[in-house]
Amino acid sequence: MNALLSLGDNLQTFWGFTGFANAEPGHIIMILVGILFIFLAIKFEFEPLLLIPIGFGILVGNIPFNEIANLKVGIYEEGSVLNILYQGVIEGWYPPLIFLGIGAMTDFSALIANPKLILIGAACQFGIFGAYIIALRSGFEPNQAGAIGIIGGADGPTAIFLSSRLAPNLMGAIAVSAYSYMALIPIIQPPFMRLLTTKKERVIRMKAPRVVSQTEKIMFPIVGLLLTAFLVPSGLPLLGMLFFGNLLKESGVTRRLAETARGPLIDIVTILLGLTVGASTQATTFLTKQSVKVFIIGALSFMIATIAGILFVKFFNLFLKKDNKINPLIGNAGVSAVPHSARISQVMGLEYDPGNYLLMHAMGPNVAGVIGSAVAAGIMLGFLG
Amino acid sequence: MKTKVKQIGFLVLAITLLFGSCSKKKKSSSWVINEVLVNNKTNLIDEYGQRNGWIEIYNNTAKTQDLGGMFLTTDKNNPKMYPIPLGDVKTQIKPYQHALFWADDKPFHGNFHTNFKLDTIGENYIALYDADGKTLIDEIVVPAGIPADKTFGYPVDGIKYDEEGNLTATILERVTPASNNAIIAENPKIVDLKKNDPWGIMITITSMLVVFAGLILLYLVFNFIGNFSKNITQKRVAKSGRLSAARSESQLSGEVLAAIAAAIAELKEDQHDMESTILTIQQVKRHYSPWSSKIYTLRQLPRK
Repeated sequence: MNALLSLGDNLQTFWGFTGFANAEPGHIIMILVGILFIFLAIKFEFEPLLLIPIGFGILVGNIPFNEIANLKVGIYEEGSVLNILYQGVIEGWYPPLIFLGIGAMTDFSALIANPKLILIGAACQFGIFGAYIIALRSGFEPNQAGAIGIIGGADGPTAIFLSSRLAPNLMGAIAVSAYSYMALIPIIQPPFMRLLTTKKERVIRMKAPRVVSQTEKIMFPIVGLLLTAFLVPSGLPLLGMLFFGNLLKESGVTRRLAETARGPLIDIVTILLGLTVGASTQATTFLTKQSVKVFIIGALSFMIATIAGILFVKFFNLFLKKDNKINPLIGNAGVSAVPHSARISQVMGLEYDPGNYLLMHAMGPNVAGVIGSAVAAGIMLGFLG
Repeated sequence: MKTKVKQIGFLVLAITLLFGSCSKKKKSSSWVINEVLVNNKTNLIDEYGQRNGWIEIYNNTAKTQDLGGMFLTTDKNNPKMYPIPLGDVKTQIKPYQHALFWADDKPFHGNFHTNFKLDTIGENYIALYDADGKTLIDEIVVPAGIPADKTFGYPVDGIKYDEEGNLTATILERVTPASNNAIIAENPKIVDLKKNDPWGIMITITSMLVVFAGLILLYLVFNFIGNFSKNITQKRVAKSGRLSAARSESQLSGEVLAAIAAAIAELKEDQHDMESTILTIQQVKRHYSPWSSKIYTLRQLPRK
């Protein structure tokens, strides 16, 4: 009899440690969100390299467990494996490494050939500051509002970097929001592109970009770094790594380093970043009213950035000669979801004129957006850090 | 010639601006003698239950630094007066943290007890020398007549000079041994923003101006570099006298020029229906760009 009772006690204790006994509705909701992310990535190929690790990370982070037992399994438990991997996010050293890889894979030719497109990248940063105003009015503190606003920069690493500095408690929501909307750019942007442009504007053909010499390509990361980092030194970790990666690529003598940076290194960091950001959405700490607000403001910031880019091109066209006009369909590309937003310009351009290839032109504002959002992050850090 | 003058002018302007913008502000040292109590009547008691004067040293850097091996002195002619012992982990001071030394002339009471006392009536010169005993790291002159239990130091930790370069050292309002002289409860930037810019309009305008300024600067520089580069290329190909010279001058695309060249060749040669040679228009490929390849992109689509 005693043995039976003991067995019962043991089973009861065991049950207390299982996920079933510790599950809360929030866990189930987050697991469903994770499955949705994986589904979107596989079925619609929305940013699969990010959504698969994040989606699976959400599953990992939302397996319920007995948090009081100090099992050292949760991402927020000091010393756990996930917590150690999460340090790269908290301390902000994954994002600069990703930027190194992005620099090593980015061809800035389109930007160098037609530098005026840089300004579109600047205009789109209005998404960040528009979202900042909305976040402030929604009751967030200025530092939190700054971290939320950066979602509008459409740049995951920048968003993680800035939120780790300004509002670490909102980092999970901000990172998931930034990456989710980057994946959903094909749904967010086209309606605004149609709404804000006329038929005539959509078929504007732009001059083919000139061929850029290697010397110019080598000078770009050096001059780019000096100018932007002198202006906003707080953006140095991101800008420094971005331009360093680009110099590795363009110098022509460090092929092995460039290949490592844009290959294995960025892949490893992307895996760790995606998984831990996903896992950081542990329902017990993540699912709050604030997170929901962050998601809503994040969506608005993407919309504002898109609108700002398109309207800026239309405004800019007023000052350009007739044969030098810019197709406003590349205005959205200043939102630096590289290269997704540029691809949307290309697809939309072809939809209205099957011979009008806008991809190379759109890549200009697209990479300028990366620089712009890193600069904006530096400004935010300077003002609010 | 005009372009060249313009270019040189641009370069000179850029260099002048760079040097002109260099800060001329006086900088505080990496260690700062931050706060000094000369006459201790009712203030802090040491681990032996005694009251003495003390010297607070502040690590004014973002890295952990070791005081071990350095020298504290009250005599300009004897910089090696008190050698701070080596090998004590407590002398490793974390970024922007403090170390407190008792000026009690009892060095055997521990590593943080010096072999000198401070003059409670007259002026006190206190200096910190590097391990070589020659390089002065920081010094402070505490004037005579400091009231008992009042400290002399810098109102904000580690900030020795104001905007005009004047020393900010003064008698401090609060005595704060081994802790911050300025107590910051909230981030002053945030407090200021909440008060003066509750809507975030001003920060938005300022930030957008900075973003635009940065990228406009980049635009101007690359516009300049682009034009410069184009000029050089045109001159080079013009000298070479090849077809590319015509292309460079005319700004026509490669396909158009190839078609024109083919037409000229056809016109010059005898026209015939059966071609003896095959003309192939091969597009000159640019350097490989990872953007055109899905293999290397971050958002690579999976191969099915």
